[in-house]
Amino acid sequence: MPLINFAAREINYKIVYYGCGLCGKTTNLQYIHRKINPEARGKLVSIATEEERTLYFDFLPLTLGTVKGMQTRFHLYTVPGQSYYNASRKLVLQGIDGIIFVADSQLTRLDENVESYLNLWDNLISQGDDLTKLGFVIQMNKRDLTDVFSVEDLNELLNHTGSPVIEASAITGQGVFETLKVVCKQVIAKTG
Amino acid sequence: MEAGVTKRKGLVINDRQLDRCDDLLRKLKDVSGSSFLALISTSGQPITTASDDYHPETLSLASLAASSFAATQQLARILDENEFTLLFHEGKGMNLHVSQVTDQVLLIITFGRETQVGKVRLYSQRAIEVLRQIFEGSDDGAVPEMDADFENAAANAMDYLFRDM
Repeated sequence: MPLINFAAREINYKIVYYGCGLCGKTTNLQYIHRKINPEARGKLVSIATEEERTLYFDFLPLTLGTVKGMQTRFHLYTVPGQSYYNASRKLVLQGIDGIIFVADSQLTRLDENVESYLNLWDNLISQGDDLTKLGFVIQMNKRDLTDVFSVEDLNELLNHTGSPVIEASAITGQGVFETLKVVCKQVIAKTG
Repeated sequence: MEAGVTKRKGLVINDRQLDRCDDLLRKLKDVSGSSFLALISTSGQPITTASDDYHPETLSLASLAASSFAATQQLARILDENEFTLLFHEGKGMNLHVSQVTDQVLLIITFGRETQVGKVRLYSQRAIEVLRQIFEGSDDGAVPEMDADFENAAANAMDYLFRDM
């Protein structure tokens, strides 16, 4: 649900990083915040617990600049990964244009990935969203670790929509911007 | 636009709406004695502001206020209340007042101790009635067709912004 302000010549898109606890959602945002031109981003806001687990969300605004006379912005959010915070996750999903589902590739995290993926669908359906009308990318994170699922296996388990898949290691930055670029282009294509 | 892609409902602001909103916010700022006013979307994106000075944290403020307001509405449901239409935070030197204009628009007001909350509440309620007419009277929320070149230009801008990443 982009906000298009023709009078102020602005267009804003909302993109949410979704996934189970400790899968690397906040790490994606921190890497983007650290590496991107400071003039193109705002302040990284985090509402986290004392243990630095996301309690409500992280927020990072990015400015693409003026595109065809329109100041174009992407507002990046994460949701809390722990299932305990599902009520907060639903709130962050309001008004979204695109989703990056961050899957933890480790063999030991399969159940959490599947639970989070199904929970995403439940939440979108309950608020009346149709995922086919949103930008959607699956990021397979932690590919730098050893005991991980193959991309093919994860794809079969978590990608029933046939959405783009990006291999990543958010902690090193591999695939972080590629993921963001793919979903940004998707959300523009859905409205442009 | 891709073939078969369905247009999604969005919030679209036109020149006339923005002019009327800006005019109203300026008046509300003066009569209520508040220091900063902003209209934001319920998804946390700023629409317009009225302030003596540029507020560098407007994006963060909008995001946090919208989320906080959404949480307040959920609290209302849990308490079997139909809705809480107002969120108020009282500080030592500054107060924050967030109220609902429409399903998609919120009004944020900050004001200092020299201003009475009752005054802000009274005038903001009157302003909201007018704002509601501005937003509900002229647009069905359909996202209009963007310029045909917008998608390509945006893609080029992204390639440039992320060029060394």
